[in-house]
Amino acid sequence: MSMIPQLLFTGLGIGSIYALVALGFVLIYRATNVVNFAQGDFSMIGAFIMVVLAIDLGVPYWIAVIVAVVTMAAFGILFNYGVYYPLRHRTFLPVVISTIGASILLQNGVLAAYGPHPQSLPPMLPFPGFTVGGVFLDSQYLLILVVTFALVALQYLFFERTMLGKKLQATSQDKEMASLLGIPVALMIGITFAYSAVLGGVAGILVAPLLFVSINMGSTIALKAFAASIIGGFGDVTGAIVGGLALGVVETFGAAYISVPYKDGFAFLVLFLFLMVRPQGVFGEKVAEKA
Amino acid sequence: MALLELDGVTAGYTAVDALNGISLRVEDGEIVTLLGANGAGKTTTLRTISGLMKPRSGSIRFMGQEIAGASANAIVRLGLSHVPEGRRIFPGLTVRENILLGSSNRGRVPRAELDRDLEAAFGIFPDILKFADSPGWTLSGGQQQMVAVARGLMARPKLLMLDEPSLGLAPIIVQQVFRTIADIRARGTTVLLVEQNAHMALSIADRGYVLETGRLIVEGPPATLLDNEEVRAAYLGGRVTAE
Ligand SMILES: Nc1ncnc2c1ncn2[C@@H]1O[C@H](COP(=O)(O)OP(=O)(O)OP(=O)(O)O)[C@@H](O)[C@H]1O
Ligand SMILES: [Mg+2]
Repeated sequence: MSMIPQLLFTGLGIGSIYALVALGFVLIYRATNVVNFAQGDFSMIGAFIMVVLAIDLGVPYWIAVIVAVVTMAAFGILFNYGVYYPLRHRTFLPVVISTIGASILLQNGVLAAYGPHPQSLPPMLPFPGFTVGGVFLDSQYLLILVVTFALVALQYLFFERTMLGKKLQATSQDKEMASLLGIPVALMIGITFAYSAVLGGVAGILVAPLLFVSINMGSTIALKAFAASIIGGFGDVTGAIVGGLALGVVETFGAAYISVPYKDGFAFLVLFLFLMVRPQGVFGEKVAEKA
Repeated sequence: MALLELDGVTAGYTAVDALNGISLRVEDGEIVTLLGANGAGKTTTLRTISGLMKPRSGSIRFMGQEIAGASANAIVRLGLSHVPEGRRIFPGLTVRENILLGSSNRGRVPRAELDRDLEAAFGIFPDILKFADSPGWTLSGGQQQMVAVARGLMARPKLLMLDEPSLGLAPIIVQQVFRTIADIRARGTTVLLVEQNAHMALSIADRGYVLETGRLIVEGPPATLLDNEEVRAAYLGGRVTAE
């Protein structure tokens, strides 16, 4: 009987990871109109920074987490200036190709440094979890849920309640108009990249103890997150979160009741159904422009 | 010294120049209108002044300072605000947020001061006050135009450039918009007004220029432009005699 809540818990946990990465996709897409194909690699880089700090250098775990998050923000800004900024006046295609190139470079850079063997990270909390009403709440999944919820709540407050949040929104809606008002557009886009890299990095750091840390861990997550953002309605922030959570749940239930080997297939089955029936996604209502 | 002075400005989108040596000036406290037919280069002139386009040659001085080639960001910080063609309201932000963002060129402004300016903006456009918390895309064209001008005024500009503020508006609303422009000047803001509605523009302007395929062909006070044969034939049509 506790099977269903148990699966729901696990599904929401893994779905949170997809949601964080999907948010990164969406925020960059909204700011630049470009899909960042290296979004998943932000997660991979985040996890590898943790391996370097916590395992190789023996930095205390939570200090390592803080350093890794700050490093990801800096990495996002670097990524902006190296990958997006020089091509910002070009069409969508050169920029997309540039992000694909960055993804290949990042994966192979880490491969050169670390070799092909997956690394592993210990769980982040010192206790395995609780059992509540026959449901085992694994501490790592709990942490994922709590951190995701906190990040989403903070992000909401930031975008809705601060002037900087409004300027970021204005930039994503009309860059030329934003620049006419004196909003520093390039800086706004830099901040968006920094934040998206942090989101991806946090997802990678949180999921690392559940998976192996490998150079292509990001690709799998990003593929699911991308599917999630299409299901939610591409470009929609709420859609990315709901899509990510829903995908995690569907996948977990599918694996439990139908087939484990086809676990990854369920995500794409759902995506396929959406593309057939509702290609604009759950929240993809186009904003009408009145004359 | 003129507030704004253009000297031999050329600019364009393709190999061909859309502006072929524009020289004009706007004195402190004036309403100057720039008239011309579709495609004459009015919008291009404003875009070049506000830094959205770089001039190919010529000089643009604002308060004596050379601004040709400077970024849009830097130019609006000097107090030159451009309300572009098509209103360009941020559709996903509320009316209040749209207007508040108009102050982005002023650096850190105390909240109380922003609130005062916001109140003043709603004072000029009382019709949009009830939409303060509605998203921009839900407004009608006339309301969006008011938001756009209010947003431009939040920059506390020395010079406000308006690109066809009457376009697509009902005649009553057009009158209201022009009254407001006269009012804005009365409060001390200089205005450079681009219009196709020549009669309306000349009714409030101190001086006007007429642009024809990238060249200024006539300049002068409203009476001179209304009398000019060439201008009447090209831009004022039969409407002068019909009056
Ligand atoms: N983005 C663009 N790319 C290429 N050519 C352009 C572009 N925008 C305008 N032009 C051309 O530049 C010339 C001047 O256009 P501009 O928009 O400045 O005219 P306008 O006087 O503002 O006209 P309207 O009254 O229609 O707004 C026109 O020949 C136009 O076709
Ligand atoms: Mg125009």
